[in-house]
Amino acid sequence: MSLLAFYARNAQEVLGLVAQHLYLVAVSTLLAFALGIPLGIVLTRRPAWQRPVLGLANVFQTVPSLALFGFLIPLPFIGGIGASTAIVALVLYALLPIVRNTYTGIAGVDPAVREAGRGMGMTDWQLLTQVELPLGFGVILAGVRVATVVSVGTATIAAAIGAGGLGVYIFRGVAVVDDTLILAGALPAALMALAADGLLGLAERRLAWRGK
Amino acid sequence: MAGKMTVGQSIVFVATLLAGCGRADRIVVGSKNFSESDLLGEIVAQQIERRTGLPVERRFHLGGTFVCHHAITSGQIDLYVEYTGTAYTAVLKFPPAHDADSVRRAVTAEYARRFGLTWGKPFGFNNTFAITVRRRDATRYGLTRIADLARVASRWKAGFGYEFLERADGFRGLADAYGLRFSAPPTAMDLGLTYRALAEGKVDVIAGNSTDGQIEALDLVVLEDDRHYFPPYEAAPVIRQAVLDAHPEVGTALALLAGRITDAEMRRLNALADVEHKDIAGIARDWLQAPRP
Repeated sequence: MSLLAFYARNAQEVLGLVAQHLYLVAVSTLLAFALGIPLGIVLTRRPAWQRPVLGLANVFQTVPSLALFGFLIPLPFIGGIGASTAIVALVLYALLPIVRNTYTGIAGVDPAVREAGRGMGMTDWQLLTQVELPLGFGVILAGVRVATVVSVGTATIAAAIGAGGLGVYIFRGVAVVDDTLILAGALPAALMALAADGLLGLAERRLAWRGK
Repeated sequence: MAGKMTVGQSIVFVATLLAGCGRADRIVVGSKNFSESDLLGEIVAQQIERRTGLPVERRFHLGGTFVCHHAITSGQIDLYVEYTGTAYTAVLKFPPAHDADSVRRAVTAEYARRFGLTWGKPFGFNNTFAITVRRRDATRYGLTRIADLARVASRWKAGFGYEFLERADGFRGLADAYGLRFSAPPTAMDLGLTYRALAEGKVDVIAGNSTDGQIEALDLVVLEDDRHYFPPYEAAPVIRQAVLDAHPEVGTALALLAGRITDAEMRRLNALADVEHKDIAGIARDWLQAPRP
């Protein structure tokens, strides 16, 4: 059966899975931003935390998703089976690029500029919001972009823990050796990743242009 | 032109020599890419080494049924362990059947006719789907057969792997055959994770494989398929007839393994590999050396 015929026959289901996929990616990346950006800022204020926090974020990257799910199933509230467990895993996977780029973006601000701000009598909050964040914005957004694109791809593993999404077609296809099914899941996921990358790239260029 | 011919001829000559050396008196054993297949491949390999003294080459962990089938029909490997139900539906493309004897007869006849391959006698266990529950629940509700499940299903949650949900001989047919109605549609998830979810109480019933090591390790119980819904998946060595003709002693060595591994024994061996992470060759050696009643 061709891919188009498959989509025509299962339009309702495809749209449902796409919506589930978008939901998983949106919730997990927003949570990862909400956690990761403040964490990255804290690291620039507390250099001693840098090694353990980035080390931990690195470790999360290396844990295979099925192993991570295995650890999460017994946990109350955040664990079990379903969307919540998948979202926890996706947040953990998205943290590294966000935290690291936030830290790098701010740490990369020219010390002379920072000194000038201090000399003008800026508080630490003013320095952060008016000097460091605007200047480091490009690097931070690059991290956000990487995290979002990677999340669209990794969200396919949500299907392993009963959370749905486009991974359902991929897992089904692998189980019954059906290339059409695998493509039915992989192709929209790839298009979604390209679209997310394109949109964030556009935002990046817009903001960089305005910055000039 | 004459020179080229000579080069071509010598290549053919050397290739024939090499092929001759490689294939003459060495048995190449293959296996599929999971522990049970590796274990059975290793047991078969060691049995041939011990009983016949022929050198054995191992080509283990090949990518699944299709790779093994192509490897053996093209002569890259001489034997591997296959399951009757898999050969019947996946290789020969017959619709799922439920009677072990007729499936075994059909694959034996068709493999000999179409591929020149011989099925040895089965090892004795049947690695079919296994409807599995926690021992605690089985005791409390008196569950021993899948038919008993119908009484509690309306209050229970099921979690199944994708293969079981998709296959013609999987969940849909099972639900009809036994009249099972669960409280919600079964959760689709990774097969390995269903064991974890069952042990942790996140779901109440799963469909594992009857020889999985986790069944004993996690204190689970397999319910009896009393209506014989699931197709038989008896494991047996499949070997090239040409090899048996050249080395009949290999057939004799394999015949000694017939009927020697029960479901429980296979579960124990799989647990040694998958749960305790013991070395496959060591498990096979210990099993072959263990005294038999």
